[in-house]
Amino acid sequence: MTSLPTFTAKDFKSDLKPIWCPGCGDFGVLQAMYRALAAIGRPSHEIAFISGIGCSSRIPGYTTAYGFNSVHGRALPIAQGIKLARPDLLVLAAGGDGDGFSIGGGHVPHAIRRNADLTYIVMDNQIYGLTKGQLSPTSAKGRKTVTSSYGSLESAVNPLLYVLAYGAPFVAQGTPADMAGLAAIIEEAIRYPGFAFVNVQSPCVTYGEEEQQVKAQKANMKSLASLKHDPTNLLAALDLARAYGTELYTGVFYKNPQPPSTMDGLVRERQNQLALNALPREKILDLFVQK
Amino acid sequence: MTIKGIDFASLSLKDALDLAVLIEEEAKERYEEFADQMKSHRTPEAARFFLFMAGNEEKHRVQLAAQRRELFSDAAPRVTRQMIFDVEAPEYDEARAFMTAREALQAAFRAEKKAYAFFNEALPRVREPGVKALFEELRAEEIEHQRLVLAELEKTPPDSALKADDFADEPVAQ
Amino acid sequence: MRRDLIIGMAGSGGDGIVSAGESLTAACATEGYHAMMTKSFGSQIRGGESSCRVRLAIDPVLNPGGALDVAVALNWEDFLKFGAELPVGGNTVVIYDSATGVPTDKLPLTGVVPDEVFAVPIGEMARKSAGTDKAKNTIVLGLLSGWFGIVREGVMKGLRKKLAKKGPELLAANERAFQAGIEYAAAHPLRTSRLMEKPEKPGVKLLTDGNDICAAAAVFSGCQFFGGYPITPSTEVMQFLTREIWKYGGAVLQAEDEIAGVGAALGASFAGKKSMTATSGPGMSLKTEVIGLASIAELPLVIVNVQRGGPSTGMPTKSEQSDLFQAVYSAHGDVVRPVLAPTSVSDTFDVTVEAFNLAEKYQTPVIVLSDQEIAQRKEVIDPIDTSRFQVIDRLRPTAAELEAGYDRFKLTDSGISPISHPGMKGGNYLGAGIEHTEHGEPTASGAMHARMTEKRFRKFDPLRERKDLFRIEGDADAPLALIAWGSIAGVCREALALARAERLRVKLLVPYLLYPIAEGVYRRFFESVKAGLVVEQSHQGHLYRILRTQLDLPKGLRPFCRTGANPFRPSEVVDTLRDAVLEMQRRVEDTQQPQE
Repeated sequence: MTSLPTFTAKDFKSDLKPIWCPGCGDFGVLQAMYRALAAIGRPSHEIAFISGIGCSSRIPGYTTAYGFNSVHGRALPIAQGIKLARPDLLVLAAGGDGDGFSIGGGHVPHAIRRNADLTYIVMDNQIYGLTKGQLSPTSAKGRKTVTSSYGSLESAVNPLLYVLAYGAPFVAQGTPADMAGLAAIIEEAIRYPGFAFVNVQSPCVTYGEEEQQVKAQKANMKSLASLKHDPTNLLAALDLARAYGTELYTGVFYKNPQPPSTMDGLVRERQNQLALNALPREKILDLFVQK
Repeated sequence: MTIKGIDFASLSLKDALDLAVLIEEEAKERYEEFADQMKSHRTPEAARFFLFMAGNEEKHRVQLAAQRRELFSDAAPRVTRQMIFDVEAPEYDEARAFMTAREALQAAFRAEKKAYAFFNEALPRVREPGVKALFEELRAEEIEHQRLVLAELEKTPPDSALKADDFADEPVAQ
Repeated sequence: MRRDLIIGMAGSGGDGIVSAGESLTAACATEGYHAMMTKSFGSQIRGGESSCRVRLAIDPVLNPGGALDVAVALNWEDFLKFGAELPVGGNTVVIYDSATGVPTDKLPLTGVVPDEVFAVPIGEMARKSAGTDKAKNTIVLGLLSGWFGIVREGVMKGLRKKLAKKGPELLAANERAFQAGIEYAAAHPLRTSRLMEKPEKPGVKLLTDGNDICAAAAVFSGCQFFGGYPITPSTEVMQFLTREIWKYGGAVLQAEDEIAGVGAALGASFAGKKSMTATSGPGMSLKTEVIGLASIAELPLVIVNVQRGGPSTGMPTKSEQSDLFQAVYSAHGDVVRPVLAPTSVSDTFDVTVEAFNLAEKYQTPVIVLSDQEIAQRKEVIDPIDTSRFQVIDRLRPTAAELEAGYDRFKLTDSGISPISHPGMKGGNYLGAGIEHTEHGEPTASGAMHARMTEKRFRKFDPLRERKDLFRIEGDADAPLALIAWGSIAGVCREALALARAERLRVKLLVPYLLYPIAEGVYRRFFESVKAGLVVEQSHQGHLYRILRTQLDLPKGLRPFCRTGANPFRPSEVVDTLRDAVLEMQRRVEDTQQPQE
């Protein structure tokens, strides 16, 4: 048994009542977040939690952290701005599959290559819930929705392969069907010094299909640990990640054992190196003096 | 049902009581959350029932807490809520907008069964006789709870074959 | 003796004519002249036609000027491509390379006979003196120095500095070429002397452009974050900051796109740091949504838009004033945000500092509408006394306020609510693009939306009274008026002087604050005005139209507009003003004619 943490899950629960439908997977994700944050033990005012737009993007408001429920698809740029401006903060970004892999999809590779020390949690429900059930980038090919009346003609984005291919140093997947496991994954992701990505298969109770719901997940999910997967093996991780959409693997796909330098760390270093060369601010125009 | 980092073999009676208190607390909070969800989704019967369940769990928690205080005063606990996930609390997935009182009762019944399974699974691993006795008692109570819920279920008229969803408005796009 | 000299030069990129212009401008600075240099290029990345104008003067230079006093053509084909940007007039001295084979009486100029024409064997002189015709540009500098009596020492100093690292041979070759030019000028004197006066006090001068000084102003204001994406003609703002901002505990993020650039800047502001982004028209279009977010989340943010010709890609290297509608109106929802515009390199500093101050004070995005001309022209200016600027920081909650239960969007009398940031204990709140209560909770209440919208407008009320964000020059009760903003204001300042010399009774209003409209300032200005011009470099005349929607304008006030890359000359502004006077007089006569 471990020593007592300074914080409990309740310290991170705000008074705001979730607008989610009863039965939504995001309730479990939220609970897992509370648990993970309590385990991390940073006070809520040192945490910045950024999201975009979507059902799941409401999540920062349900925590006591400094939250920013921004605009569609832009959680990552804003989160990186915060982290680079204030490397001392714990920065979290979250959103849905549409937010992260459609409208904001272009930001993901760049967040990865910069490797700012932040955690990005995507609540992947393979549907647009907030706008009432349209096709999402992770919807399976052939899926019928209100915008794919005869079945989707497009293949789904594979979020796991996407981030692994761009070199994310920490990639994991969880589900609210295993809340303890999810809390542990989120905690590990936050503790990882670098860009950490967690895909959460968080079912939509209103527009999701039966086989996507928590009950079905419980029957189908397989933990990567039980498969004896070595999370430092990138090729094995890539191979397992290919099963996205057919198998529900939970746990850490990849964890770079030698965390690459983070951009916020490098920013600090550069600031320290160059600070000595600074003219006083009020003398900055001396740079233009022509002698 | 998962238990994070609990080594039942080394559990003392104080730990076990603390654990039991926290399990009740978790269940109570979840039922309250469900009641809130039901209220905000205009499902008053289920909301009332979940509040009733929250009251039950709270009552039980108070009893256990008193027992703990009596035996161990305010000695610092070693177990925390961080170790407990959905032991007696109904899972989030159990809630549905417009669920009937019957469906709410069924959800609670499944939660009680889950709690029973928890103690049942833990018991063979427990060494300390006091803990064993406590867990047996708690397990028995879970059966009692299940009976209570079943009795309620019997009193509740069967659900209509027509589903609330067939009548409800479409969800609202945001 | 002259107090003002306008030199225009053109050649191919390989001729280094812009480099000569830069040396000349730098030499002006060391010798104490004021100067302004604008560059213009063809569309090739390298080697196409290129040109520059250098205007040097004893007094501060207000604009690049009209017709050239001196035109230098290394080849005519390139020179002629610049058309109105290098206008030759009857008083111009034309200097060109005799290797072009054009006789001095058969210049390819239509409708004008220049005052003096010199066909100089520039290439040949370069080969003889420096051993390479690459030194043509140094020959040109020698010629200019000799004929106009300028910057002899300054150019030598500049050459020594520039070539110090490249070895003594190259320096010696350039010195010989420079000398050859001077000697040629001495041997072929101008018919009438056009020697420039020497500056009275050489004094310290700054040499910079609008983009660099904008970035320096950001550093001065305490900016610690820049997020942006390369886009002409604004990129130098980011480039300057990537050299400097780290020294002040700041960071630059060259983002993956314009949206991420402004997003990261907004994030830094949310984190409590002053931050900015800079872009041009196409980038502004992309940033629009996040700027709206900054408005509703009430976060300080400075957005610099260096305007270029549009729409779409338009003319990336040419100046235009056609983004004012975008700055003012490109938002969904009811929103107002301050829009400021500098009129010169020097006041770009003032305007940028003001932009940071307004952003901080009112917790709002502020748009600085610079333009390509100001942003990329080099100016030699007087030093700026930074002690006269106040630097404002956002209003933070006090410890007592945090303890008493903090409401991030508290409805205060001023409309300004103390703002916390992550790391501040007890200040935790939810920032959001969604409408919110005082506490920051999302709401769909019409009443709350009304109160919050009103708050977000009300906080700007004092801004509409800021007379100091306007300059009024000329006779206070003049019946004639000029209104101009941005780089065109510099043209109108000179036009004002010309018009007053002609005894026209005219005054000039230069708004640095373009929006919200300071109705009181305009009303008072209009009291005496019977006729006048709103001079703008755009097809529609954006400011004129905005003024018409919000104010009753004097009947005789009309727009004088043209699209970008077609510079205004001070003299034509005066001509047009005279037309406006005649029109007004005709109107008065009409009303006084007895009806038949």
